[in-house]
Amino acid sequence: MKLGNILSRAFIGLILITIVTISVIPFLWVFASSFKSNAEIMSTKMGFANGLKFSNYVNAFKIAPIDRFYVNSIIVAFFGILLNVFVSSTAAYVLARFPFKGSRFLTVLLSMGLFIPGAALLQPVFLVTSAVKLNNSYAGLVIVYSAFGLATTLYVMISYFKTIPKELEESAYIDGSGFVNTFARIILPLTRPALSTAAVLQFLLCWNEFQFALILTNDHKVRTLPVALYYFKSSFASDYGAMFAATILVIMPSIIVFVLLQKQVVSGLVAGSVKG
Amino acid sequence: MNKFWIAVFVLPAVLLFSSVYAVSLVILITTSFTNFTAGGGGNFIGLSNYIQLLKPGSEFLQVIKNNIVWVLLQTTLHICLGVVIAFILARNKWYKDVVRTIYMLPNIIPNAALGMLFLFILNPKFGMVNSAIRFITGNKSFMQNWFMEPKTAFGALTITWLPYAGITVILVMSEMTSVSRSLYEAAIIDGASEFQTNIYIILPLMRNIIGTATILAASNMLQKLDIILLTTSGGPGVRTTNMPMSIYRTALIENNYGLANAQGIILILLGLLSVIIIRRLYRMNENNF
Repeated sequence: MKLGNILSRAFIGLILITIVTISVIPFLWVFASSFKSNAEIMSTKMGFANGLKFSNYVNAFKIAPIDRFYVNSIIVAFFGILLNVFVSSTAAYVLARFPFKGSRFLTVLLSMGLFIPGAALLQPVFLVTSAVKLNNSYAGLVIVYSAFGLATTLYVMISYFKTIPKELEESAYIDGSGFVNTFARIILPLTRPALSTAAVLQFLLCWNEFQFALILTNDHKVRTLPVALYYFKSSFASDYGAMFAATILVIMPSIIVFVLLQKQVVSGLVAGSVKG
Repeated sequence: MNKFWIAVFVLPAVLLFSSVYAVSLVILITTSFTNFTAGGGGNFIGLSNYIQLLKPGSEFLQVIKNNIVWVLLQTTLHICLGVVIAFILARNKWYKDVVRTIYMLPNIIPNAALGMLFLFILNPKFGMVNSAIRFITGNKSFMQNWFMEPKTAFGALTITWLPYAGITVILVMSEMTSVSRSLYEAAIIDGASEFQTNIYIILPLMRNIIGTATILAASNMLQKLDIILLTTSGGPGVRTTNMPMSIYRTALIENNYGLANAQGIILILLGLLSVIIIRRLYRMNENNF
């Protein structure tokens, strides 16, 4: 029993140390290297012989318009959240509250997106967005991302609307409140937790998405951060220090958002995937 | 009056869905039977695209095989790891929150950035991994190009996602909080050890959520493009090409739209098949909504 206890403790300790190591070491190593000169990086010595260098960060901004990519990512994420949450909350309200002929079918249809790997639609979406001249524009990315997030956020909203007592609306209607007014003034404010879950999920989608950002953009004016990394790879050539710095700059916002909004992110991910 | 507003409220969702999914699916299905390319074409050629993709010895069969191997690894090893860690963290020790947060980080940062991190640490010249091996073995000329050599490319890529089961951990842990405290207490009164309680009482209750995590892991493997494109680009040969990578290459580099869309159909079918199989295996209940 005693030996078994020691062994199980050792096993647990080993697993925990391993997963923590593999989760932080790649990041920490690149982070530390982003303050070294190229010569230091190549010499693969540990430590900072010549002190910390911020020149890599300065160079990264010079070589690639990283500030532009930041702005693009923020714009796409902001409007992607706005459109998605608007569309999913209005539809979810009706689907949860006012069943009509075919509403169940419509609910299932709208959640079909969960079963379609985005990569399968690469060419058709490219074709459609080009046909309506929305390729290489914020609007194209915003619309595509809103649609991709729809199945999950709709589910999150429908589940939440179902928990709100019906009496609330009924008394509002008796008091003469109209349909839109009841929804916007009385019901929607009550769904704040679900709205924030939906917004967080949609943020992660917009901020991290790569494949459609890659094919729907063709210049730096609208490219978002993840796809910008792909282009750093060639334009930075052998300036590894700057490339390290650029990678850190792309990673930082996600880590900050996660650490600050951890509760929302975790509950969002749980709520979002239970449907899957 | 309400009828009018009901229609107005669902209309945006219907429009959004139709313009992105419905139209795309129609294009996908119809063009997969044509020789549609960037230069035009679009004549009906029956099943030719599918035959070309699936005939014995074709490159795409290797691609499907790669993808299936990745799905199998992810739905078994990756999920097991996540479940084990969730059980360890559920013991509520002081380190629980710290470990869970740190373990989530690789899942939270953009995939493309994770790809870059691995590209750097596995760099043959200055990467951390080769430096460490040189230091430990004393072999100063050790120069393994992990992502480019046929023998290691597949494994190197797999390492970028297989050990990072943070999502499984948070899913299982959130389900555990819904297990009634009295169940644990009853088990302990009956003389069950912590290990026995976990295996015989808690684990069976986690069946549904583990099934969900498994579906998520499988569909994730049918989506991966960013890390592959940034590290190996699917090479050497098609050694590390999965279906999304192949679709990307066929559609946007070779501009062979019909052929790419036939691959898209096969990808969707494979996705549905994996969901059906996992649901069967985990006997998951069907009551959605």
